[in-house]
Order: sequence, then structure tokens, then C-alpha cells
Amino acid sequence: MSVILEVVCPRLLGPAVMVAAAMIVKGYGDVGDGFSAGVVVALAVALRYVTLGAERAERSLPALRFAPAVAISGLLFALAIGFFPVILGEPPVTHYPRAGDPVVEIGTLELTTAVAFDVGVFLLVAGSLVELVHQLARLVEERRP
Amino acid sequence: MLAWSAVASATVAFIACLAGWLAGGGAVEVAWAPTLGLHLDLAFDGLSALYALLATGIGALVFVYGAGYLPWHLEHLPRPHRDAWRFWPWMVFFMGSMVGLACARDLVLLFVFFDLTAVASYFLIGFDRDRDARGAALMALLVTGVSAVAMLVGAVLLYNAYGTSSLPELFERADSGPTTTAACALIAVAALAKSAQAPLHFWLPRAMAAPTPVSAYLHSAAMVAAGVLVLGRVHPLIAKSDAVLDLLLVVGLVSIGVGGVLALAQDELKQILAHSTISQYGYVVTLYGIGGATAAGAAALYVLAHAIAKSALFMTAGAVTVTTGETRLSRLGGLGRRLPALAVASGIAAATLAALPLTLGFFKDELFFSAASEHGRPVQLLAVGAAALTVAYIGRFWLGLFVGPLRARPHERVPPLLLAPVAFLGLLALVGGLVVEPFARLAGDAAEVTQSGAVEVAPAYHLDAGTANVMALAAWALGALVLLTPRVRDPLVRAVGRLGQIAGPRRWYALSLLGLNRLSDWAHDKEVRDLRNSITAVLVPAAALIALAFAATPTRGSYDVGSIALGDLPIIVLLGLGALAALTAARDKGRLRPVLALSVLGFALAGVYAMVGAPDVALVAVLVETVLALVFVGVFARLPPTTLRRPRRRARNAAIGSAAGAAAFAAIWGALSRPTATAGVAAEHIDRTPDAHGGDVVTVILADFRGLDTMVEITVLAVAVVGVASLLSRGRAW
Repeated sequence: MSVILEVVCPRLLGPAVMVAAAMIVKGYGDVGDGFSAGVVVALAVALRYVTLGAERAERSLPALRFAPAVAISGLLFALAIGFFPVILGEPPVTHYPRAGDPVVEIGTLELTTAVAFDVGVFLLVAGSLVELVHQLARLVEERRP
Repeated sequence: MLAWSAVASATVAFIACLAGWLAGGGAVEVAWAPTLGLHLDLAFDGLSALYALLATGIGALVFVYGAGYLPWHLEHLPRPHRDAWRFWPWMVFFMGSMVGLACARDLVLLFVFFDLTAVASYFLIGFDRDRDARGAALMALLVTGVSAVAMLVGAVLLYNAYGTSSLPELFERADSGPTTTAACALIAVAALAKSAQAPLHFWLPRAMAAPTPVSAYLHSAAMVAAGVLVLGRVHPLIAKSDAVLDLLLVVGLVSIGVGGVLALAQDELKQILAHSTISQYGYVVTLYGIGGATAAGAAALYVLAHAIAKSALFMTAGAVTVTTGETRLSRLGGLGRRLPALAVASGIAAATLAALPLTLGFFKDELFFSAASEHGRPVQLLAVGAAALTVAYIGRFWLGLFVGPLRARPHERVPPLLLAPVAFLGLLALVGGLVVEPFARLAGDAAEVTQSGAVEVAPAYHLDAGTANVMALAAWALGALVLLTPRVRDPLVRAVGRLGQIAGPRRWYALSLLGLNRLSDWAHDKEVRDLRNSITAVLVPAAALIALAFAATPTRGSYDVGSIALGDLPIIVLLGLGALAALTAARDKGRLRPVLALSVLGFALAGVYAMVGAPDVALVAVLVETVLALVFVGVFARLPPTTLRRPRRRARNAAIGSAAGAAAFAAIWGALSRPTATAGVAAEHIDRTPDAHGGDVVTVILADFRGLDTMVEITVLAVAVVGVASLLSRGRAW
């Protein structure tokens, strides 16, 4: 890989996270959701793997090893958001505030449970894809002569 | 420690169930998905009380026994002591699912608990992990699990016809039409397979590969009892169809015969008892087939008495094996003087099964005979024959173990933990023979649910020449005759056993499993021999199906050419670019260039999506294309240069590709020619999006309108990742 790629690719992670954050913050009112945001982050990580190789990529970004934990907590969070209305006697995946009720807004971010659900999806997708990249990269590295 | 917490949980559950029964029961109903009519509808009525008390009470005793047995079993194999963790949690889970099944009043819920017991039994039967145990566990799971699907089909039939899967509502709404008959027959098939009734009985003797406490529990209060529990639960529905009742009657009588005769042919202790279970549940099924208040009461008391006796007998067999090291009846004998307490306790249990007076078992046969007499002479005669068989095989079992010359010398005394549960159950059977009222009350409460009406279960000793007494005397005499003439009996039962081996259902099971495996291997071999075959396996059937649809549907007017406006120019340019990229990808012989060409194609299409007003699809398409390109680049960068050779058989590839492409073209053209449907669900989604505080319809659909789907999908994603991790690195997450 060329030097330019090696320098540029690792630095794309920051912007990618920003884009992902923007997708979630704007998400419910505009195009893009937790799934896309998760893929964007995972893409930036995958780019590091491709340019640096699995070992260097993971050494330079030790936080990656929390990917499985992030994925699982994202799943549990999303499921919790989906099922807590059952406790209140509503069908699952009832979102609050209900239709017609006022929504608290911080900038463009709307504080609804649907957005929280989306955050769970984001964490799950990002964590799962990074985990997949890790597993596949390890496989490729081991097969190398 | 683990074992005793299991015992404690079973004891607490038993006390809770007992208190619940004495307090008159209760019901819980939680709407799970009301729009689909799915409710968590649990009720603790008489039938629940009977089976829950059995599952927890027999469970507690079996767990005590297991606390003594499992350490010996693990040492004997040998396996580490921490493997107890693979045993006790499943036992408790088994008990829990059985209690849940006992309380379920909804067909779908019944199916769920039904399968949970199958799952628990799978892990428990396969506990020893050798070839035999694995095969046995798989057989039990396949036979009971596959037939359980019949129950679900029956539930769906009833739901479609009457709009509910709740049993109390179905009892009111269902008529005795063909739908009810078909659904009941399907449910009965599932229940009969679970209760090991002929011809699906063969899994049960195989399941003896399980450790003895599992067998004792499985045969008396869990797994096998689940089948007759379901029959008892849905009986008001079954009673609407005479055909299903007759089916039950025939299957029950055949099972009594098959199980009883085969029990006489067996030499291994647990095998005798396993075949006896087939026969004993045959009685219960026969009683449900007879129908009516007397039979319902008899069936409930039968289940109760049988559970007490059978668990005691299984634990006896295990205790004998632990102390002597022998498992075969022909190598055992005369243990009565060496192990007197075990002999007496199991003797009472055997007497209970053989329905001798002064035991609880006498009453089960008294009621059975009364019910059979009500149904006519043929059934009455068959009932006597059945009881005679029972006397014969259980007499052979007990006498062979404890009477006669001493063959195998016991190494030690029976450990107290193995003896105490047997003694307790023997005592219970004796108490039941003297004071039958509490047992009769429990059976009566259960029968009232089965019968949906008042049932009086009042067994008692009548010192007269009544029908039941005469039948009992005849049965004992006939049984003693069979027992005392081994020279006539043995060749006969061995011949039946051999016939079963040659042409029995177990052989059919093995053959069909073998055939399925071969078919699967063949298809697998064809498909995955190389990557091109895998792709062909997707493309060719797709093309063929579309060609079929093309031939079957009228095509006049459904292919529209349309017109091109000036504003469409960017789309046309992008599509042209895509077409060029596709040609390049197909023609180029390099490695990286076709991949890049594919990316160009993907991005061009994403651009088209963005222009025709599907920005969400465009976003996802861009992301997916990027991922694909990156994966290709990442893999190619690490492949040795010689790996990708020029593909052979280019002509075949071209033909397959063209066929699939043409089919896709035809399908998409046809789809685009239709006027876009804006009415219906899509329009409603758009209308309601502001209500959900959203601006983007697709996002709102994913997170809100179809949020339940999304939840299932993300769960599937997580499971898939776990699967990848376990395949690639044996479950290590990182």
C-alpha cells in the first residue's frame, strides 16, 4: 500500500464517527438511521484493517477489542427499549412520547424512544461488523505463508 | 451443593403447587401480542395441579436420588465433577417447562412448552456424550419434535377456523366438523409421539442411554407424561370427534400390547421398564379414547399411580446397578436377602403397577376396568388381557431381581440417598392403598378439567363379585399363568421382538434418516464443490422460476415501453455507465479491474436511486458497495498472485449469466410497467409518519411501524455474528 493511503486511511475514522453521529442526531427527521451510521463507522475501521493489516490496526486502536461488548450491549439496549412498554401494559415497540404529545428537542436531536432504539441498532451494527472484520482478518493473516 | 439447590427449588415449587391446589388455583393472563391473539394464558386448575405436583414432587425425590447417583455416574465414566453443571440446570429447566406446560391454556403456548421439554430432554438423554447417547438424544428430539409440528399445524387450522388459539374459547366455539377432526388428529399425533405410543414408541427405549435419574423423571412425571397431559388438556375438543376418539382407543390398546409383550422379551432392567412405560401410557390413552367421566377420572388416577410406581422402579434399577455393577436381569437374582429394604420398597411399587390390593395401584385398575366395561365387551376383554400382561412383566422384573438364587453379589449396601426416595414412594403407594381420598380428590379435580364438567372419582374396596373385582381376579390369574410358563412365553415374545427389529418402525426411522442424509450429502456435494456451482445454484433456479412465471401469466399489456423526458437524461447517463461497467466486469481478465468495475456499477445504480426519490435506498446502496469493494481489495491484497486463474468453462458461465440476466430483466421490466400503487399500507405509513414525530418514512417504518421486525432482525444479526465467531475461532469473541 502506498504511503499516502497509510497516512490518510487511519485519519478517516474521526470524520466517519462524525458522519455517524450526524446521521443519528438528524436521523429520525431525515435520511439515515442507526444501521447506516453503524456501517459508516465499521467501514472506517475496515479501511484501517486493509491498509495497516490486522495486527497493526488493532495495536494502534486498542479500543477495538470492546467491539463484541459494544455489539451485545447495543442489542440488549435496543431490546430493552422495545420491550419496556410491555411492563406498562402496552404492546412491544410502543414509542414515547406518543403521537400528539410534545417532543423535547436539543438542536435537531429529538428525544424519543425511537431514537434511543436507533442508538442501540447503531451500537449493534458497528460492533458486529468490526467483530466480523476482526474474525475474517485473523483468518486471512493466519493463512498467509 | 448444586444438586441440593435443585432439590430445594423442586421442594419449594412442590409446596407452592400444593398450596395453589388447596387454595383452589388461579389464572394469569398477559396479552403478549393482542393483535395476533397471542396471550400468555396460564391457569392453575385441577389438571395443572396434578401434573405440576407430579413434576415437582417426583422431581424433588428424583433430584435427591440424583444427588447420590450423579457423583457415582461421573466417577464411573470417568468425567470431571464440574460436569454436574451440564446436568442439574437442565433438570430444573425440565421441571420448569413441565410445570409451564401443565398450566398453559393456549395451543401456541402449549406447543412452546412442549418443545421446551423436548429440548431439555435432548441435553439430558445425550448427557453421556458417547455415540449411543447422542443417537438416542437425536432420535428423541426428532421423533417428538417433528411430530410436535403437527400440533402447531393443528393450532393454525383451529385459529383459521375459529379465530382463537385459546383452549377455553375453542371449547365453546368449535363444532364437530372436519376442521376440528383434522386439527384434533394432528394434536393427537404430537401427543402420542411424546407419550411413546405405537408406532412412534421406539425412541423411548433408546432414551435409556440417559443416566438413571433422567430416565426415572422422564418416564414418570416429565417428557412422556407431557403427551397424555396435552390429551387431557384438549380432551373437550377431541371429544367432539368420534374418529379421533377411536384413533386414541386403537393406538392405546396396540401400545399396551406392543409395550407389554416387548417388556417380557427384554433382559436389561431399564429396557423392561421403558417398554412397560409404553404399555402404561397406552392405558391412559385408551382411557382418553373411551371418553366420558369415568374414563377421565381413571386416566388421571392412572397417571398419578403410574408416576409414583414407575419412578420408584427406575430408581430401584439404578440402585441395583450401583451396588452390583450389573444391568441385566439374567445376571441378577436373589437380592432380597441382601438388600431387604430396597426389595420391600420396590415390591410395593411393583405391586402398585400390577394393581394388587392395599396399594394405590389397585384403584387405578378398578377405575380402568369400570371405564372399559362401560365401553362394551371387546374393550373389556382387552382390558383384562392388558392388566394380565402388566402383572406378568412386572412380576418377572421384581421376582427376577429379588427372588431365586443369588447371582451377582452386591459390593456394598444401597447408599441411603438412593434408597430413601424409593422407600418414600413405596410408602406413598401404600398410604394411597389405605387412604385413597386425597389422591382421588386430586384425580377428580384433574378429570373435571378433562371432562369440562363435574366428575366424581370415588374408588373404594368392594368385597363383592362386582365386574371390576372379577376382571381384576381374572387379570391376576392370567398374569400369573404367563409368569409361570416361561417355556411357552419366552419363544413367543422373542419372535415378536425379532419381528419388530426386522420390520418395526425403528428400522424405518433409521432408513429414512439414512436416505435424507444421502440426499443432503449429494445436494451439498453438487452445490459447494466450487464457488461457481454455489452461484449457479442461486442463479439457475431463480431464472427457471421466473421463466415459469413468465409462461404461466398473461403478458399482454404488462410490458410497457413508456417515453423519455429531457429530465431523465442524468438517469440515462448513469444507467449507461452502469451497463458499461457491467460489461467490463464480465469481460476483463484482470483481478482488481472487474471489482472496481462492479463498484462503478453499484455507485451508478445508487445514483439512480437517489434521483428517483429513494435516498434511503441510495445511502444503503452506497454503503454496501463500499463494503464490498473494501472486502475485495482487502482479500486481494493478501492473496498469492497465482490463486485467481482464468476461469474455465467460459461458455457455461456465459450461458448461466445470460439466462439469469434475462430473467431479472423480464421481471424488473414487468414490475416497472405496473402503475405504482400508492394506496394501502404505503399510503398509511406516509400519513402516519408525522404522528411518530418523524420526517423520514423509511426510518420511521424501521424503528416504529415495523419495529418488532427490526428487533427480530437485529437479534438474528447478533446470532449470526456469534455463529461466525464460533466457526472461525471456536467462540472466542476477540
